[in-house]
Amino acid sequence: MFTNILALQDRISALTKLYSDGKTQKITSNLLTALMLTLFLTTVGFTAEPSKSAQQANVAAAPAAPAQKLATTVTAPAPAASSPAPVSGLPTKVRPNRAITISMFLTIIGITLCVVIWAARSTKSAADFYTAGGGITGLQNGWAIAGDYMSAASFLGMSGLISLYGIDGFMYAVGPMFSFIAILLVIAEPCRNAGKYTLGDILSFRTSPKPVRAVAAISTVTVSLFYLIAQMVGAGKLMQVLLDIPYRVSVIGVGVLMVGYVVFGGMKATTWVQIIKAGLLMSGTVVLALLVMIKSGMNPIVFFADIVANPLIQDHVRINVLKDALPTPGFDYGQRFMEPGLFLKNPLDQVSLGIAWALGAAGLPHILMRFFTVPSAKEARKSIVIALFINSTFFFLINIIGFGAALYLSPQLISSVDKGGNMATLLLAQLLGGGAGSLGGDMFLAFICAVAFATILAVVSGLVLAASAAIAHDVYVNIVMDGKADQQTQVKVARITSLFVGLAAILMGLAAEKENVVALVALAFAVAASGNFPAVMLSLFWKRFNTAGVISALLVGTTSALALVLISPVMTYPQKIADDARKIVVTLEKKQAEGVILAEKDLKVLDKSRKDYAKNNGGTSMVGLKAPIFPLKNPGLVSVPLGLLAAILGTLLFRDKRAEDMFDEIEVRQITGLGISKASEH
Amino acid sequence: MGQRSYNWSEIARNPKYLELKRRKRVFLFGWWIAASIYYFSLPFLSGYFPALFKIKLIGVINFGYLFILSQFLVAIFVAVYYTIVANRDFDQLTAELVDEIQ
Repeated sequence: MFTNILALQDRISALTKLYSDGKTQKITSNLLTALMLTLFLTTVGFTAEPSKSAQQANVAAAPAAPAQKLATTVTAPAPAASSPAPVSGLPTKVRPNRAITISMFLTIIGITLCVVIWAARSTKSAADFYTAGGGITGLQNGWAIAGDYMSAASFLGMSGLISLYGIDGFMYAVGPMFSFIAILLVIAEPCRNAGKYTLGDILSFRTSPKPVRAVAAISTVTVSLFYLIAQMVGAGKLMQVLLDIPYRVSVIGVGVLMVGYVVFGGMKATTWVQIIKAGLLMSGTVVLALLVMIKSGMNPIVFFADIVANPLIQDHVRINVLKDALPTPGFDYGQRFMEPGLFLKNPLDQVSLGIAWALGAAGLPHILMRFFTVPSAKEARKSIVIALFINSTFFFLINIIGFGAALYLSPQLISSVDKGGNMATLLLAQLLGGGAGSLGGDMFLAFICAVAFATILAVVSGLVLAASAAIAHDVYVNIVMDGKADQQTQVKVARITSLFVGLAAILMGLAAEKENVVALVALAFAVAASGNFPAVMLSLFWKRFNTAGVISALLVGTTSALALVLISPVMTYPQKIADDARKIVVTLEKKQAEGVILAEKDLKVLDKSRKDYAKNNGGTSMVGLKAPIFPLKNPGLVSVPLGLLAAILGTLLFRDKRAEDMFDEIEVRQITGLGISKASEH
Repeated sequence: MGQRSYNWSEIARNPKYLELKRRKRVFLFGWWIAASIYYFSLPFLSGYFPALFKIKLIGVINFGYLFILSQFLVAIFVAVYYTIVANRDFDQLTAELVDEIQ
């Protein structure tokens, strides 16, 4: 395996050398070779050294997973993740077959590297690098957008949420499905007609280009890096739990692969990695959902009746979620699983999150960039419709998988393996494939693990590309060089930038191992919704909108979202951890005082809680708070109106005649597609 | 880029263009707002009127579950309907306008 990869690497270097005579190019490829070498050396090394602590995975990567914090309240007297309560002899840890799983991973790596080699051949101009020369079809782009958007968090986290909290988890899936409506109706086609490569291109159309591009680049890099770090941390923790691959090795491994895809293959390779991933993800999801339906006799009415009548689910709802020590007479705890309010408790929070979904996705730079890869607005429309189909099918199937996991595995088992339920999909795959230890179970589990791995790779590649396009195209080419850079230089700069963005992401991913990354994703969506979205919309549809408007929208949108998240409940509050730990200590000590001899498990909990209390008591959050000031987990409800208001005020305070005169041009362009930037012309 | 230049403000006064612009705006923003109202009614109703969500309709399947499912159908409906209208009307009008200008 090792020599194979080395050989591949040689071929990639040879190829890139063919297409460039610049020194920097050589340095880039040498650096990459060195990185790949380190990765695979460590990979060989780790097989002998299993990781010391396999903690629960925190597949935090959509504003989805605030499960983390709530989760502590779910498993009764919060046992440490390392000592989960065994449930009726079932396994308490997902144990994929390493040999099968790793060979599936390597197959995916092999296939995608072939794609990269093929894509590198035709990546010569800036348009090739950023938009695959505009030569992607609507159908391909639809799959790629779906591949860019569906994250491991949706695949693993959302089904887990459904398996633990029933219908609330399913309600959660509506937001990411619905985001495509705004994109389809008001964003995709106008942007395709009026833009070229980046967010900065659209925003600087009739404004002072340099300041606007600079602010747009900062916003793009911020949003993409937040999202990227969350994905990297999620990937690292997932691989650690599944395969005992040390956290560092997985973060570096994922990082090196994504850098390789983007640096050599640009948008073309990224697109195909996303298409392959979306194909794998959809086949895995369809098969899993189909197996659930077959097991339930293909009858949804019976399926849900079984769920409601299931004693384990009833116990879970009563004891773990509602905390009723004794059943309330006449209360149907099984039916309660089908009713809202078990997970989503604050309606305003839901509305706020809903805003982030409905508008945020339309402002995400890596999604925006995908519209430029197709030749026309008609193809852009087609791609969003296809992405919407794939996406809604996916989230619908996730609902079947989630409820299936609750019924066939039991919520108790799922939460004993991972408090947030993130292992539900994987456990279900193992069970429906034939059970742990069977060949079918091992194969199917390995396949689903590989799907999750491909999912992570595809999402991070798109993010790296978007961030480096902002730096290379907006900052370097258009601000530093005044737009005067030949194609070769542009591609070279874009490649170097991608390398550094990738390296930065790896370093930040390593540094963020112990951080609470849930906040980062909420932040990415909130910034996109409160800054980018109003700026793009008003650029396209409001005549008066100008430089001051763009800049104030982006600055106020970004800073208000950031500030509100920093004082919101998604941050870690040590004082709250200390208070919770104290409650457990008091309860258990009271039991001891009453003469009850505690089980070994409870003694461990008591010990851990005492330590947690000592460590966290008096502590404050990152910004020095003991408790959150802002009550909502997502800032959208406040920061979106603020961003919009700032855009309007800024515009009205500093009128700009030129921007108003040029409105006709951008409007005619966006509506008719006249003068469309044919990415293939150069 | 070597593209020909257009007289943008002249096109912007073209009656065909104005017609296209008006129809696109009414359709796109109209459906966007309608779909958003439907979408936000989900957190609103489930948060403030949970009793409604508990009404059993088919076996144990209640209004809430079916309402969530309907969100998917509405999104797909909007996408399909927009595609039909855009392919039939907007693209046609745009093509006529572009022919007239070039």
